[in-house]
Amino acid sequence: MVDALGEVHRVLAPGGILVDARPDSRVPAYAERRKPRGFQRFGLVRTSRLEVANDRASDLAIARVVRDGLFKRMRRGRFWQRVPFSDLAALRKYLSEHLRFVHRAEWVVDGATRKRHASDQFVLRRAVRYELLEALRQ
Amino acid sequence: MFNLQVPMRSVAKDSIGEFGKHVPSASSALRPPPRAELKEWGGTRLVRRKRVLDLGCGDGRLALGVASLAKRVDGIDPDPEAIGAAKRNARKAGARNVRFATGAAQHLPYPDATFDLVILSWTL
Repeated sequence: MVDALGEVHRVLAPGGILVDARPDSRVPAYAERRKPRGFQRFGLVRTSRLEVANDRASDLAIARVVRDGLFKRMRRGRFWQRVPFSDLAALRKYLSEHLRFVHRAEWVVDGATRKRHASDQFVLRRAVRYELLEALRQ
Repeated sequence: MFNLQVPMRSVAKDSIGEFGKHVPSASSALRPPPRAELKEWGGTRLVRRKRVLDLGCGDGRLALGVASLAKRVDGIDPDPEAIGAAKRNARKAGARNVRFATGAAQHLPYPDATFDLVILSWTL
């Protein structure tokens, strides 16, 4: 990872900017159901330990190139993204196919409620973090 | 963890998030729209008339999303299938200032100081 960041520094003009954006594994994602007004949160979805470890390794690589004087931290932030799914089955399929997510969320309702909301839209609300770094002249 | 909406006699459960198989780069369609992502990072001035490299570009979602603003956009990804899809998408979009290539981040096939902006979107 540090090698790749070294290459990024090489191809960037001095003063050029590196944007590092990725899902924020430090906070859980939320499973939500769309209501006529707003969303109802019904569960949370944690990130797998493997992905958290990968994210930490990425953080360390960034810290290393900053320490080595290749880049200077400019700005960082986080925003939330709602990933829409046509129904609950589609959301379940998405989560089951991703190693990134491990936590089980359950929508606990009676049969009548389930039937009433069968065609509701469901979303996964997850955090995305980003950081801007400036390439320094070596 | 759960919101119990109503008092229940019979309870049905839906389990979500079973530990499952990994599908690489699920779908770029499930990521934020490029302009929305760009807005969060600081707006269009970040890419306007700049030479941009999208590292780990996948099917070119972000590269093509910012192409109309940038001077030139290069996309690189180790997955040849993704690059094939990116080239098809570029042809479909009629983007002339975008180039895609297969390659690894550790050995970028560009001379020194080629770009003003490098984007690692969901890559690192």
